[in-house]
Amino acid sequence: MNYANLKKGLAVSVATAVIALGGAGLAKAETPSWCGPKKATLALLDGYGGNSWRQVTTASGKQTVELCPSITKYEYADGQGDTQKAISDIKGMAAKGVDALVVFGDAGPAMLPAITSVFKSGKIIVPYRVAVGGKEGVNYSKFIGSSFENDGVTWGKWIKGVLPKGGNVLFISGPAGNSQGLDELKGLKSVLGPEYVFVNQAPFAVTNWDPALTQKVLTAEIAKNAKIDVIVSDFGPSLVGALPTFTKQGKSIPALATSDGNSLGCFWQDNNASNPDFKLFTVATGNDNVRLAVQWAVALATGGEKPKEQIFEAPAYEDSVSGKPNAVQCRKDLPGAIYMSSALKPEDQAKAVGQ
Amino acid sequence: MSAVSTTPTGADRYGAGRMQLTRSFVTVIFSTVVLLVACLVFAPSSVSWGALSGSLPFAAIIAIVGLGQLLVVQQGGFDLSLPGAVSLAVVVSTHYPQQNDGLLYQAVLLALAFNLAIGILNGVLVSLFRLNSIIATIGTNALLYATVFAMSGGVPSVTTGLLANIAGGETFGLPNAVYFALGATALVSFMLKKTVAGRRFEAIGASPAAGEAAGLRVRSYQMMAYVYAQLFYCLAGVLIAGITREPTAFQGDSLLLPSVAVVVLGGTSLLGGRGFPISTVLAAFFLNQLSQFALSVGVPYSAQTIIQALALGFGIGVYSLRWSGKVRKTT
Repeated sequence: MNYANLKKGLAVSVATAVIALGGAGLAKAETPSWCGPKKATLALLDGYGGNSWRQVTTASGKQTVELCPSITKYEYADGQGDTQKAISDIKGMAAKGVDALVVFGDAGPAMLPAITSVFKSGKIIVPYRVAVGGKEGVNYSKFIGSSFENDGVTWGKWIKGVLPKGGNVLFISGPAGNSQGLDELKGLKSVLGPEYVFVNQAPFAVTNWDPALTQKVLTAEIAKNAKIDVIVSDFGPSLVGALPTFTKQGKSIPALATSDGNSLGCFWQDNNASNPDFKLFTVATGNDNVRLAVQWAVALATGGEKPKEQIFEAPAYEDSVSGKPNAVQCRKDLPGAIYMSSALKPEDQAKAVGQ
Repeated sequence: MSAVSTTPTGADRYGAGRMQLTRSFVTVIFSTVVLLVACLVFAPSSVSWGALSGSLPFAAIIAIVGLGQLLVVQQGGFDLSLPGAVSLAVVVSTHYPQQNDGLLYQAVLLALAFNLAIGILNGVLVSLFRLNSIIATIGTNALLYATVFAMSGGVPSVTTGLLANIAGGETFGLPNAVYFALGATALVSFMLKKTVAGRRFEAIGASPAAGEAAGLRVRSYQMMAYVYAQLFYCLAGVLIAGITREPTAFQGDSLLLPSVAVVVLGGTSLLGGRGFPISTVLAAFFLNQLSQFALSVGVPYSAQTIIQALALGFGIGVYSLRWSGKVRKTT
């Protein structure tokens, strides 16, 4: 009996050890499902790489590529805001024999001919975030857009929560007529009824995402509107210099629904005590859009499993009211121009932005 | 501008110097008053104290870069290196200290050194090598932006608390930036109008050949215009860094056109010669108030742009009208 028990015990422990060891071995060799067995090379092509958001995005893209051992070579090119260069970068990479290209087509439809010609030559090409026109399977392998309308809906729901009886909304976005702002407005309007009055001129107050212009616009809007209950902005950090205008005019900073940024989080922590109405809600600023695009490109090039998501939806990130999914984040020891919502570690982002 | 060249400037210079100053001054004041009345009628919120104190710092910035551009225009030149120069001062005064107040004064000195070096380069290219000022300063602007990228990588940085307090704070109810602008105006007016060097500077601007015949060191005066201009761009850049708290690395871009516009509105001829610093600064207030007016009226963006264009046209129109009246009187 004793011997039998011992044998049984031994058998169990050996089995456990084998499973544990096997598990460990599996974990070590675990590759994401989107990473197939076929070897391939990949290039990330940026239309304009000269700001912190892009640098964090580029670093995120690189990190995603490194998860897949089948990618034997990774390259990067920066179009430097020059459409001609961005086009020649794409063609140059394809000519060099790179198998998969992930493209941030800043110039929009102007990039389509180059993208199409690369696709026609049999390469995998995945434009993302900025719509370039064209069709999947005709002009490119896959387009991974970002749902800005979804951002608008997320903001709208939060605004309904903090201002259930309606109120005055000030919506500010970038250059006149930019499609991101228009999509966000569509999302906002789908949630907010007529009891929410947009006090800005239609469709949104134009700021060009320039902090100086934002400050001027806000100054004019505060003077014009006795009561602003909530500000909606698609670039939170550009408001950091402008929000003190409320204090200067003897008013509390109102509620703010926007995108995240380290400097904004720190600003909230410094000022929320003296501004009772200053509630903050952010959606992730979307650096991780590139990850989904890279996953698709890798899956198509290496024969991996295609990701389920076809479009990047920025999740809610901070909420000063409920603390969910996160309380407001601030890392004073790190640069203001990083994004705590990014899956890239804050320290790595600081390195990426060179500070 | 053709009106300027066809007017018998020599006669004006002898007899009606005071009249001329008054004329440009009165014109700008008149336009500004009309604008303020329009503000009171159509957009009263734009002249409320809150709105003014929020927008005055930006008027001050335009005034300061306008004064720099004025000096260059007085020598018959154009300084297109302004965007790069202002952006570099912004970047140096935010990136070098990295939010450490203790390093601020070093950062400002460093910014000053950069701007002076570029000013000397501009001056040498234009006055010694006789390059066209537009070509030369476009080149140095590219050089400045290269430095901006090298220092910042195009990434904005948060300004130091001390600088935010100095540039963005208020003293006796007025934004501090306004005091800087007033100081700069007083300095330029005094130097131009009350010192020997200033009088020579204006005379050389009106006619370099005559200056040379009179034995003046024309080239060094022309060169110094670019150097002094850079000092003002540097001041403007450091102030912007403080006022906006998290400036972009390209904050100077939107200042080039206003800088030329206020010089022209202030009544200074683009062909060089007499400068009107006080009118230039008033024109900066006019221009800034104009954009606040357009913002406050609450019309679509396209209409805002049209309002600004019309009002600018009106400002220049008033000036030309009075000018032709004067010509009729003298002839």
